[in-house]
Amino acid sequence: MTSATRGRGRTRREQLTIAAVAAILGILVIGQLRGQAAVPGLSTLSTQELTLVIANLNTRNEQLRTEIAGLEQQAASLQSARANGQTTVDQLDGDLARIQAWSGAIGLTGPGISISVRGAIGGDGIEEVLNELRNSGAEAIAVADVRVVPGVVVAGAPGALSIENTPLGDVFEIRAIGSPEILVGTLTRAGGVIAQIGATYPDARLSVTPLETVALPASTRNLIPGDGQPRL
Amino acid sequence: MNSLLARARAIPSWQITLAVALLVLGFLIAAQLSAEGPRVRYTTQERSPLVESAQSLQSQQDALKARILELRNQIGAMESQGPGSGDSLKALYASLEQARIGAGLIGLTGPGIVFRLEDSSQPGAGSDSLVSAQDLRVLVQELWLGGAEAVSINDERVTVSTAVLDIGGSVLVNSAYLAPPYKVTAIGPGDLYPRLQASISFREFVTDRVEHHGLGLAVAQRDAVDVPAFAGTVAIRFGQPAASPGATP
Repeated sequence: MTSATRGRGRTRREQLTIAAVAAILGILVIGQLRGQAAVPGLSTLSTQELTLVIANLNTRNEQLRTEIAGLEQQAASLQSARANGQTTVDQLDGDLARIQAWSGAIGLTGPGISISVRGAIGGDGIEEVLNELRNSGAEAIAVADVRVVPGVVVAGAPGALSIENTPLGDVFEIRAIGSPEILVGTLTRAGGVIAQIGATYPDARLSVTPLETVALPASTRNLIPGDGQPRL
Repeated sequence: MNSLLARARAIPSWQITLAVALLVLGFLIAAQLSAEGPRVRYTTQERSPLVESAQSLQSQQDALKARILELRNQIGAMESQGPGSGDSLKALYASLEQARIGAGLIGLTGPGIVFRLEDSSQPGAGSDSLVSAQDLRVLVQELWLGGAEAVSINDERVTVSTAVLDIGGSVLVNSAYLAPPYKVTAIGPGDLYPRLQASISFREFVTDRVEHHGLGLAVAQRDAVDVPAFAGTVAIRFGQPAASPGATP
């Protein structure tokens, strides 16, 4: 074998080695980029958590389908009214009241619960309770007669809680409208939010009472944005 | 010194190329491994149908939400060109539109800020290095206290009924599954961010969760940000509304 042939063979091996390394490099770069682009997604959830996600999605999708059915009916009524030259004032009044009551612009009355809060608890603990109430389907919530709407926060250290710049004092009441059974059951279950608060704030006492009728006031806030403009 | 240089010059160029390539390879493997982070990935076969179901339901939800927004826009358009021209009817339509804006059923645009909150990139960190529902709730509460008037997490509008819950290492907002990184968008006064910076509780959040546990937090102040409309239900099953001041007598 001549030295020229040996040289050509070595050059080919070198080129093959570099090509192999470059190929591996390319695969890794693509993997890295894809890994960064993709959301961690459902692959990070356990079987139990996936079941919970599916249950939540099912419930929400059913609610959305009901909402769509109502909206389609509303659109059909409006269409028909336009065709006949008539108006559907009663329906419009009903829609207006429903949206205003949901958003907190007007008061709401119905079955629900009362939570009596005593002892030292921080604003984060109360916000946990409010979050759990929303998760349990509460239709309206008030803390010490202040309607809870976007922008309203219970804040402060234990003993210095306030809502809408008003001190809450040592004893106050949270009231919510919704299914009393579901609300009581969710809040007071073993390992539920009240049990968790008991571990974080051992001096706090939260007692839940189902009520046949709860009357919640309208929010005193102006719910119409001043800085934001509607995207119509 | 001269002999060293001479030996360096004697190294074939392909060996240098290979060395550089192997260095990059090592770096990429290290980056790949660290990117796995503390989030556990499950690979058992029985989960596959569950993942597919969840993905399918999430796709259905996206389609349902899009349909709701479409119908609401359609209804709004019909109302604005309604057959009635009486003043009371016009006032009723105007009240409805205001009620929808106040309820978050119409998207908003305005000055504001956008936060991007993501898991810690520190390798080997525990669950404290993941963004939790509590982190998002605290950030949203701080925004409200700073004067924000509309907030969204990713594309979910925060409304009167919004719950933010932990699910594994990710969160559910309005019952929609969201994965990190989380984009929290807020419309508010021009000095919203300075107000946040002046807040003791916001600074504590930054110190504890961002600086101590390494969460990623980036912020951008913008002249105009968009907060989407709430694409969920506003049904009331248990409550009875009080008389609406905007209703026709």
